[in-house]
Amino acid sequence: MKGSVFGVTNDSKRLNFSVISPTIAAAHELKAPLALIRQLSLYLESDNVSHGERERLLQQITLTSERGLRLTNDLSRTARLDDSLFSMEPLNPIQICEGVVEELSPLFMAKHSTLSVAQKRTSPTVVGNRQLLHRVLSNFADNALHYSESTRPVQFQVSSSQAGATVRLAVRDYGPAVPLDIWKRVYQNLGHASQTLQSRPQSSGLGLYVAGEFARVMRGQIGAIRHKDGATFYIDLAASTQLRLL
Amino acid sequence: MKIAEYILIVEDDDWLAAHHERILTGAGYVVNSVPHAIAAIESIDVHRPDVLIADVFLAGPNAFTLLHELQSHSDFADIPVILCTNIAHDIAGEDIALYGIRRVLDKTTMQPQDLIAAVRSVNL
Repeated sequence: MKGSVFGVTNDSKRLNFSVISPTIAAAHELKAPLALIRQLSLYLESDNVSHGERERLLQQITLTSERGLRLTNDLSRTARLDDSLFSMEPLNPIQICEGVVEELSPLFMAKHSTLSVAQKRTSPTVVGNRQLLHRVLSNFADNALHYSESTRPVQFQVSSSQAGATVRLAVRDYGPAVPLDIWKRVYQNLGHASQTLQSRPQSSGLGLYVAGEFARVMRGQIGAIRHKDGATFYIDLAASTQLRLL
Repeated sequence: MKIAEYILIVEDDDWLAAHHERILTGAGYVVNSVPHAIAAIESIDVHRPDVLIADVFLAGPNAFTLLHELQSHSDFADIPVILCTNIAHDIAGEDIALYGIRRVLDKTTMQPQDLIAAVRSVNL
């Protein structure tokens, strides 16, 4: 089969998952961690599990449930966005990225992967909400973790536009290229309620929808770049002028 | 002596893949798992599996792309396929026939031993 062309069709013609409602997306997205927790729990009930294996499975159950809880918390927060007031303040993006690294390190370590921040000497501050920006980046990193091959690290990158008006916080991942037809749909729907189920592994695109909603509240914008060996997801936020005035 | 059957698992969740490997290895099968369809094709080229177990949504091309590819090669078209997925209820009967799928397991309701039973049923 070597040399054969992939991409004759990426959809079963009878499976119409191209556009789905947020409710169905949420249900699908939560199925994966719940199904995994159930499978691991059932296995733990058997007698032939060694102590070391039991410890590892329990850790996997904990980390998987935490991932599911992060998603449900984000979902409930998106429902309250318009009623809530989110304070906007100058933020150090490197510091926010490091906070996400600290939060997700146990998950990345358990998956034999790494999450880091590409260090820069100086970083422009951005205007945003600390909690929401943390969750946007956490969703990007989670998305990257489940897409990347475990041998490839996931990295946060911070850069500013040439004019210095905006700052981009990006997460680069590495994995098989997303077929172009699917990518077009992903990009078209990025950050909107309707997403393709096949957009990323284990993903209905709900994390990206959440990120898009949070970005909107911070007057920012999310986007994505397709690479031959993965993707970059990013959020653009206004740079803070506070320091420039000093 | 009978050589153990070889099973290839295509599953993007490495913890679930390892779980399936544990169950099938414990039942005496030789098992390998890969995270996506492209790796599956490479693996099948090297070692033809007796049974293929695949999740539907994968990184990059999905399982139906993989199965479409397998169906287009006469020497691989008859590999028994088991889908193990969260969307079992959404898979149409016509798809099952078209892509050589012999069993569909629902991840949300299956028991660990269902995996072994499904492999035995398609690889008699």
